[in-house]
Amino acid sequence: MALRFEDDFLKKLEYLHVVSKRAFAGQNRADRLARKRGRGMEFADHRQYSAGDDFRHIDWKAYQRLNRLLLRLFDEEQDLPIYLFLDASRSMVEPAKFDQARRIVAALCYIGLAHLDRVTILPFGSGLRDETMPGRGKGRIFRVFEMLERMETQGDTDLREAFKQFASRTRQTGLAVVVSDFLDPRGFEPGLKILASMGHDVFVVHVASPSDRDPGSLGEVRFVDAETGELRDVDVTPALADAYGAAWQRHSEELEHFCGRYNLGYLRADADAPFEQVILSTFRKGRFLA
Amino acid sequence: MSFGAMPVWQALLLIAGAAAAAVWLFRMKIRPPRVHVPSLLLWRRVFDQVRELTWWERIRRAVSLAATVALAIALALAVTRPGPRLTAASRGRTLIVLDSSWSMLAESGGGTRWERAVRQARALAASSGGEEVALATTADGLVEGPTSDLALIETAIDRLAPSGGEGAPWPRVAGTDSVHFFTDGAVDTAAAPGVIVHSVYEAVPNVAITAFAARAATSGISSGEAFLEIVNYAARPQDVRVSLIRGTVTLFDQPVPIAAGEAVRQFVPLQMSGGARLVARVRAPDNALAIDDEAVAWMPGVDPLAVTVVADAPGPLADLLQRDPAIRASFVKPADYKPGREDVVIFDRTIPAQAPARPALFIAPPAAGWLGTPASEEKAPRWLEPDAHPVLAGVDPLTIDVRRARGYDGQGLVPIARSERGTPLVSVIDARDRRAVILGFAIGDSNLATAPAFPVIVGNAIEWLGRPSYGMLRRPGPVELPGSTSALTAPDGTPVSLSHAGDRVVARLTQPGLYQVDAGGSRGVIGVNVGDPAVSNLMRTSLPNEGRRPAGGGGGSGRPWWMYAVGFAFVLAAVEWWTWQRRITV
Repeated sequence: MALRFEDDFLKKLEYLHVVSKRAFAGQNRADRLARKRGRGMEFADHRQYSAGDDFRHIDWKAYQRLNRLLLRLFDEEQDLPIYLFLDASRSMVEPAKFDQARRIVAALCYIGLAHLDRVTILPFGSGLRDETMPGRGKGRIFRVFEMLERMETQGDTDLREAFKQFASRTRQTGLAVVVSDFLDPRGFEPGLKILASMGHDVFVVHVASPSDRDPGSLGEVRFVDAETGELRDVDVTPALADAYGAAWQRHSEELEHFCGRYNLGYLRADADAPFEQVILSTFRKGRFLA
Repeated sequence: MSFGAMPVWQALLLIAGAAAAAVWLFRMKIRPPRVHVPSLLLWRRVFDQVRELTWWERIRRAVSLAATVALAIALALAVTRPGPRLTAASRGRTLIVLDSSWSMLAESGGGTRWERAVRQARALAASSGGEEVALATTADGLVEGPTSDLALIETAIDRLAPSGGEGAPWPRVAGTDSVHFFTDGAVDTAAAPGVIVHSVYEAVPNVAITAFAARAATSGISSGEAFLEIVNYAARPQDVRVSLIRGTVTLFDQPVPIAAGEAVRQFVPLQMSGGARLVARVRAPDNALAIDDEAVAWMPGVDPLAVTVVADAPGPLADLLQRDPAIRASFVKPADYKPGREDVVIFDRTIPAQAPARPALFIAPPAAGWLGTPASEEKAPRWLEPDAHPVLAGVDPLTIDVRRARGYDGQGLVPIARSERGTPLVSVIDARDRRAVILGFAIGDSNLATAPAFPVIVGNAIEWLGRPSYGMLRRPGPVELPGSTSALTAPDGTPVSLSHAGDRVVARLTQPGLYQVDAGGSRGVIGVNVGDPAVSNLMRTSLPNEGRRPAGGGGGSGRPWWMYAVGFAFVLAAVEWWTWQRRITV
C-alpha cells in the first residue's frame, strides 16, 4: 500500500488539532497550552510574589494600585505527547481494514507533527513492537509513511500485554489513540483499563471491515482464524450470519459503552468508509479533531 | 418380493448399498472452501447461542437424512423394479410357462415384455429351493425339465425366444404342484385352471402391417395388385412412413397420416412384369413392436411357366399354349425329349420309360409300369360329378363328350373324376417324388378341343402342377402342408423340419418371411407375416384388470412402479434442493 496523501488533504490536516480533554505538561515549547505556568505569551493569573521569583514578571501596575507585589503568571505553550497505538496483529490482515488503520495513524501523526507535538507510533500485537518517534515537524511524515508501508500484520491480539509493556516504562502522560478492531480473545477491557489508569487521555478508534460486520450467507465453509490458525467447519446460513451480525453489533456497543464508562473517546472507522470523510467529518464530529 | 431387473439377493444388496451410500455421503465431511476470518471470537459466541437450537437442528438434519435415504432407495427401487413375491406357492414341482407370442417382443421401459418375463422366470426358478422345475413355452410346449438342476433351466431359458405359437396346446407336466404363466395377455391363451398368471403387460403404442398380400388382378391377366393394411395402435395420430418394395425397386415411400386407432387399407396396382417378391415396411415414432413393421408377399404368376409339350402332333394344345402369355411353351417329339428344368411337362399320348422328375400332365398315356396298371377301355363314358379339386375347378363335365377312355390303377393315383362305371377320367398323383395329372382320354377321342372346359382344365392342371398354392397369407406357427411336400426352406435358407401326419405334413414356421415349399418337383412360396390385431395391438390385453399390473410393479395408470419411483426421487431431489437453498434443511 502506498501511504501518500494529496497536498490538498495535507493542508486540510494542518488546520486540524488533536483535541485533548486535558492539558498535559510537555517537554518542549510548542503551540499547545500546558497546565504549567511559565514562559508563554498568554496571561493566565496573578499570585503573591515570593522570594526567588523572577522579578521581571512582577506586575508593577498592580503594585501601584494595590501596594502589593503580585507576580504575573503566563500559560506555557508546550508540546503534547501523542501515543498512536496501531493494531498490527493478524486479525487486521484484511487489506482494507489495515490500510484504513494505517491511514488514520498516518493522518493523526501528520496533524501532531504539524503542531510540533511529540508523536510516538506504537504497533502492537501480542505485545508492543518497536515504537517509532519520528521527531518534530511535519517534514518527518514521510519517514512515518515509509515505516507504515513496511509494517506487516503478525501475531495475535493481546491488548493487556501490549499496554502492560507500555506502562512498564515511565512516560509522560498524554494522548493515547488506540486504532484496532479490538478482537482480543482475552477481551479489550483489561488492556484499555490499564491504559486509562496511566492518566492518559485515551481515544479508541474501532476499525471494522464490511466482512467483520456482515459475513453474508457463505454456506458450508471452513473458517480459519487468522490469528490462531484454528479451523472450524460452519454452515453459514442466513440466520447464522444474522446472529453473527448481531454479535458483532453487541461487541461494538460493548466497546462503546466501556469507553463511555471510563471516559474514553470512541470513534468507529469503517474500512469501507471514505478515508477523508473519516478524518474530516467523523473524527471532528467525535470531537477528536478540531 | 421379487425384482424385475435382477435376482433378489442382488436387488436387496443394491437397495441396502444405496441406503448405506446415502447415509455415508450425508455424513461425509466434504472439505468446504476455506474462509479466513480475523478472529473466531465472535463466531464462538454465535455458536454458543445457536446451540440453543440444537433440537431444531437435529430435526432438520434427521429430515434431510431421511430425504436423502428415501431418494437413494427410490432410485434403487427404480433400478431393481420390485414386484409381488415370485416364489412357488407351495413346495413341489413347478411348471414355468412363458408366453412366446410375438407381442412379447414389445419394447417398453428399457426392455421387452419377453425380457421381463424371462427375468421373473429366472427369479422364480431360483426360488424353487431345490424342488423340480419344468420350463415350457406356449409355442414349443415343454422345453426343459422337470429337473432340480437350475443350470439346465437357465440354459433352456437362454435358448428361448418368442416365435408365435398361437393356438398351440397348453403344456402339461404330470405331477406339477404349481404352474406359473408369464404373459402379456395379448393372445388369449387357454391356460389350465389354477395357473398363477404373472403379467408383464404394459400398454405401449404400436404401428403394424396387419395384412399384406399380392395377387393377380381378376380384371386382367397382365396386371396384379397388392393389398396393404396398416393400423395405428396408438393414442395419438402419427405420420407413418410406408414403403413398398418389389424386388429391388421401391414402388413408393411416403408418409401416411393415420389417426389413433385408425386402419388404413390400400390396394396397390402392380404390373405383371417385375419381381415376385414384395416387401412392405412402416416406420413411426411411437412404435413398440418391430417385427410387425415389415411384411412380405409373393406375387404369383409373375414369371411365365416353362411348359414342354411332348407330342408327335400337339394340335390344339399348341394353339392353346402359344396364345397364353403366362406360359412359355416348347414342343418336342417324344423321341427327342430329354428331362430339363421346365416347370411342367405335358405328355400327349406318350409316356417316358421312367417317371419324370418334373410335374407332368399326361393325356391318354400309354401303358407304363411305373404309372400303374391300365384298366379296360370304356366307350362313351358318362361323367359323374367330379370331386372338388383345383384341377377341375370351373370345369363343367357336361360340356365334355368322351368317346372312349382308359383309366389307370396304380399306387399314388387318386381319381378326381370318374365315369358312371367307375373308370377314372381324371387322376392326380400328389407324392413327394412326383406330381402328375392324368387325363384318361385323348383330346382327339373327345370334343375337348372345342369344349369351353378345355382351356380351363389344361390351365388348372398346369397351374396346380407348376404353381401350387399354399394360401395367400399365413401366420407364424404350426402349418399344414400337402403330403407331397418334400422340403420346406425358411427365409434364412435353413430347412424346416417336417412332421408327417397321415396324408398331411405339419411344420412350424418360427419366423416371418418367404418360405419355399418343394413338393413333387414343383416349388411354391408361402408368405408368413406377424402382423395381426391380436398381436400388434399392444394397448390391449386379455388379462383381467388385476392382471394388468405388471409383475414388475405397476401403478394405477398402467405405468410401472419404477417410473413412480424415479418421479418420487426427482421430487425429493427438487424439494431437498429447494429447502437446502433456503437453508431449511442442512
